[in-house]
Amino acid sequence: MLGFSNDSAGGGVGAEDLAQLQSTMRAIELACSYIQINSNPVAAEATILSLHQSPQPYKACRYILEHSQVPNARFQAAAAIREAAIREWSFLATDDKGGLISFCLSYVMQHANSSEGYVLSKVSSVAAQLMKRGWLEFTPAEKEVFFYQINQAILGSRGLDVQFIGINFLESLVSEFSPSTSSAMGLPREFHENCRKSLEQNFLKTFYQWAKDAALSVTNKIIESHSSVPEVKVCNATLRLMYQILNWEFRYSKGGTRASINVFSDGIRPDNASARKTECIIVQPGASWCDVLLSSSHVGWLINLYSSVRQKFDLEGYWLDCPVAVSARKLIVQLCSLAGEIFPSNNVQMREQHLLLLLSGVLPWIDPPDVISKEIEEGRSGSEMIDGCRALLSIGTVTTPVVFDQLLRSLRPFGTLTLLSMLMGEVVKVLMANSTDEETWSYEARDILLDTWTTLLASMDGSGGNAWLPPEGMHAAASLFSLIVESELKVASASATTTEDDADCLASVSAMDERLGSYALIARAAVDATIPFLAKLFSDRVACLHQGRGTVDPTETLEEVYSLLLIVGHVLADEGEGETALVPDALQSHFVDVVEANNHPVVVLSSSIIKFAEQCLDAEMRSSIFSPRLMEAVIWFLARWSFTYLMLVEDCNLGSNQLQSLPSRACLFTFFNEHNQGKFVLDIIVRISLTSLMSYPGEKDLQELICFQLLHALVRRRNICFHLLSLDSWRKLANAFANDKSLFLLNSGSQRSLAQTLVLSAYGMQSSDASNQYVKDLMAHMTSSLVDLSNNSDLKNLAQRPDIIMLVSCVLERLRGAASATEPRTQRAIYEMGLAVMNPVLRLLEVYKHESAVIYLLLKFVVDWVDGQLSYLEAHETAVVINFCMSLLQMYSSHNIGKISLSLSSTLLNEAKTEKYKDLRALLQLLSHLCSKDMVDFSSDSIETQSTNISQVVYFGLHIITPLITLELLKYPKLCFDYFSLISHMLEVYPETLAQLNNDAFSHVLTTVDFGLHQQDVDIVTMCLRALKALASYHYKEKNAGNSGLGSHAAGHTDPNGVFHEGILSRFLRTLLHFLLFEDYSTDLVSTAADALFPLILCEPNLYQGLGNELIEKQANPNFKTRLANALQVLTTSNQLSSSLDRLNYQRFRKNLNNFLVEVRGFLKTR
Amino acid sequence: MSDDEHHFESSDSGASKTFPQQAGNIRKGGFIVIKGRPCKVVEVSTSKTGKHGHAKCHFVAIDIFNGKKLEDIVPSSHNCDVPHVNRLDYQLIDIAEDGFVSLLTDSGGTKDDLKLPTDDALAAQMKSGFEEGRDVVVSVMSSMGEEQINAVKEVGAGK
Repeated sequence: MLGFSNDSAGGGVGAEDLAQLQSTMRAIELACSYIQINSNPVAAEATILSLHQSPQPYKACRYILEHSQVPNARFQAAAAIREAAIREWSFLATDDKGGLISFCLSYVMQHANSSEGYVLSKVSSVAAQLMKRGWLEFTPAEKEVFFYQINQAILGSRGLDVQFIGINFLESLVSEFSPSTSSAMGLPREFHENCRKSLEQNFLKTFYQWAKDAALSVTNKIIESHSSVPEVKVCNATLRLMYQILNWEFRYSKGGTRASINVFSDGIRPDNASARKTECIIVQPGASWCDVLLSSSHVGWLINLYSSVRQKFDLEGYWLDCPVAVSARKLIVQLCSLAGEIFPSNNVQMREQHLLLLLSGVLPWIDPPDVISKEIEEGRSGSEMIDGCRALLSIGTVTTPVVFDQLLRSLRPFGTLTLLSMLMGEVVKVLMANSTDEETWSYEARDILLDTWTTLLASMDGSGGNAWLPPEGMHAAASLFSLIVESELKVASASATTTEDDADCLASVSAMDERLGSYALIARAAVDATIPFLAKLFSDRVACLHQGRGTVDPTETLEEVYSLLLIVGHVLADEGEGETALVPDALQSHFVDVVEANNHPVVVLSSSIIKFAEQCLDAEMRSSIFSPRLMEAVIWFLARWSFTYLMLVEDCNLGSNQLQSLPSRACLFTFFNEHNQGKFVLDIIVRISLTSLMSYPGEKDLQELICFQLLHALVRRRNICFHLLSLDSWRKLANAFANDKSLFLLNSGSQRSLAQTLVLSAYGMQSSDASNQYVKDLMAHMTSSLVDLSNNSDLKNLAQRPDIIMLVSCVLERLRGAASATEPRTQRAIYEMGLAVMNPVLRLLEVYKHESAVIYLLLKFVVDWVDGQLSYLEAHETAVVINFCMSLLQMYSSHNIGKISLSLSSTLLNEAKTEKYKDLRALLQLLSHLCSKDMVDFSSDSIETQSTNISQVVYFGLHIITPLITLELLKYPKLCFDYFSLISHMLEVYPETLAQLNNDAFSHVLTTVDFGLHQQDVDIVTMCLRALKALASYHYKEKNAGNSGLGSHAAGHTDPNGVFHEGILSRFLRTLLHFLLFEDYSTDLVSTAADALFPLILCEPNLYQGLGNELIEKQANPNFKTRLANALQVLTTSNQLSSSLDRLNYQRFRKNLNNFLVEVRGFLKTR
Repeated sequence: MSDDEHHFESSDSGASKTFPQQAGNIRKGGFIVIKGRPCKVVEVSTSKTGKHGHAKCHFVAIDIFNGKKLEDIVPSSHNCDVPHVNRLDYQLIDIAEDGFVSLLTDSGGTKDDLKLPTDDALAAQMKSGFEEGRDVVVSVMSSMGEEQINAVKEVGAGK
């Protein structure tokens, strides 16, 4: 008996026990007070910990809870009960389990009026956790007993305090059952899932009903009384509980009804709703909740409650931020996002009435917007208004724009969209007026309202352009957009003279990008007005720049133009990252009456910007207007614009919709195509690029934009490549690249990217031969300069000169860029390019052995070149490449093994470590690429051809680089990942070659695997386990076939001193078993671990037997002994497990291991 | 494409102690002269002078001889001085009582003007390698008229 069953409550505690209990209590009390005054906290913590860890501390805990005067001690006692009970759960008697829970419950009820709330909520959460722990074993009747007690409490028959406690307990219970907030119990996920399912299906609605009833029982008092009454606390708790329940992630409510009901769309969008990015959770509790939430006038009651209390406290400004007001509003907002099968599909009105009811309740919070915003500016709390915005967001999430707009019409002469526009307009005005950096209510409101627009409009944007807003909505969007642009420009010109910190700037760029994306959606909702508006603004600003040239400081206008370019870029084109960017539907489908391209607003706007950009070709204009920052915006715009509009291929950039025949659309599409203005614009863009690359020395950001975004976007489109190659300007660019000194001054990434771009453009040549020739011509100069240098007799001295180092780095970057642009059409030329520099590369590796920056570039070039080439190469070429890689690896390792460098400063030392790490990563990548030849091979050789054995090569490579890989270096996550993916791949594909490694290398590899097994990263551990599986199963299969398998590595050996060293598989069997039984790991690993453990056991059955016996012997408790013995027995025999390594057996063993671990880890792993 | 742009004639190497290089082109890990000292760059950041001004580079660098930290800000289109840093390998032939070491040059002569490094690990490695009769190669870094032993490595140990 643990002292918790009812009969022992009265007495039966011996005097001796009592003394001991008292001394424990005193010790804990003392420890708690020590912690509080922070005197010797370590010892105090140890005392408390010992209570938590002592076996069956329940009696003592109970004693402390009931007798101690120190609240902290009671808190700790409750925690100790939780800890111990979860740990010892599986061997507590059923009575005791129930006893613990009912003790906790009756404790909180009895002490409901205690002032130490935190002790009560701790005890109540302990009760909740224990209840969950036993959830699946308790019979319904047993649960009924507990819940009867709770229900009685919540009904309020035992007073307000108890009522509060009851609700509080349910809150803890629900949060324990919800996956995101549940506490860890060391149990499989399945357990948690089952609990969650059971609660959702059988209890959640009841709890909600109880909360509702409890709230009803107190609301009259609250509304009638004129000061705050204790009922408010209960009311707040019930609202919180209801909110929490609605936050539940409902899963099991949809099932049964779905098949029978036809999928009828009643204004709810299909499932893509969840894919959109909003901060709003959609509440979908399922059809069964209809009575609780909808048909029982629950919403009406809630709104009524809020508005009557609000009215009563109208004069007291603080009330809006009272907990109960906040909870009520949260619940109202939550109800706004109610959706799914709870609304009968044959009853559209019900849904709309529900939303209308809510909207009418929320309306006083936000309408009229100007009055409200004025009140807030004068000191009223903004929280209610912000919640109102949230409610709009929620409603917007579950409706279509049209339904959304309609809702308000029965209450107001205008639609909801107009209200939304007015509201946001007010917020933007407030933002404009006080442009401080302070985070005010208006920032938050703006973000929420912007989300609402995004939510509403994003659904239309992808719908094929047929869904337009109602005219009034369009008008609302247009006027809002012009207000937004006005405010953005104002902010821009105000900030023109401030110099922000770089870090600040970077952080705000992505936030700004997101914001501009939302603005663009608003603009596109009313393109008829917004595009001409933008065109006008732009030409105004440009005119302003020209007028003031030379006389007025243009900075403010420059900043405005900068902002405008960003805004227009977002409105006209989507980002199209990784996919073909389509012309936004809204721009395709509007402007129906335009017949001539020159009048098409999009064409007008685009052309005016291109014309403006073209002026940067003039040196004088450049110096007076085109600042580097403005150029960045120009280039960014051109990149984004050209990707969407320039030289469209019909049917590819159109998207599929029914607008094909619109004449306005046709002229938009043809205007910038290859037969019309396209080629002309392309030429301008290339000329702007070249000029900017040459004329803005040292402007790294600008250069990167040109190389990475603009030029790269151009060559990504094949049809553009054809035209590029015919342009003089492109030839000039290529020529400058090859010969002009100033392009050697670009920074390294841009060099690489430019080389890649130019090589990619070779696709535009008529034939493969011509493409190869183009690449050859382009790169000849680079290769020959490397060859010349490496043949120079004074290379050793020459190479150290800074200018030569720079030249070499630059050439290597370019070669690397070219290598990474390998395509079937240009593969020949790039192969020859690499072939030509093989010897120079090795020579440079020698002379630059102390210049780690150059070494890294050399390695990276080889890595990319091999990666691009290897799969195309014929056998003899492969051999050449492989030999080259071998020499490279050997040389690198000879330079680096055993080297000790001066450590003058820790910074330099860290730098050196990082450099070494980067090198090794490159080498690992090289080996991985070499591996790929066995997988992907396009060469014409037949498989039978005697080709180089890649696995041998890679193993040889591992031999060379493993000594360089230290456990220290494996702490770098990326390197660690690369290394282990290579190792596990190698072991899985070529286990036989591992057996041939010499002892040192073999044991080094396995030491690292052992190290990897103990990493935190699940991926790393998984890869190591897969490597082990491969190793063990290889050995087992080979043995069965009568071969030696891993031979001496597996057998173990006796060293000269007569000490026996056990074989590698035995060692890992030991490690893995220990890992599985005693260490902490993610449950995801269990099946991979099973796959490794199974062959290990088969390889070493005797050792396994021995280890099992050892484990059993260690158990002191006879009960555990038998359980462990049984479990071990079952592990290897149940499910008809046999000793062959096939799929079926692996599967069975996985299941067995899982059961085994659930069974034994509970008592083996004690903390 | 013509190729008379870059030559590698061996001019009298070492004659020039520094070379000009555009600031925007000096990266992390490269060398730079700051306040007359040869340094290795450990951090580069760029910023603009005013929103619509030109970029400038901010360098944090470590003196390669004494490990002191130095900083500099240069417009990124301007030139900086980059030191010529030479590193040569020599075989160790003797360690004298007074701490001076004797090194074998490529041409067969000896170089006797360097002391054992003050870095303990490095000095210990040199001494033990030398005492046990292994081949020890030291690498000497020199720049702007200063030099020091900065790495050591044993080759073909025991053979």
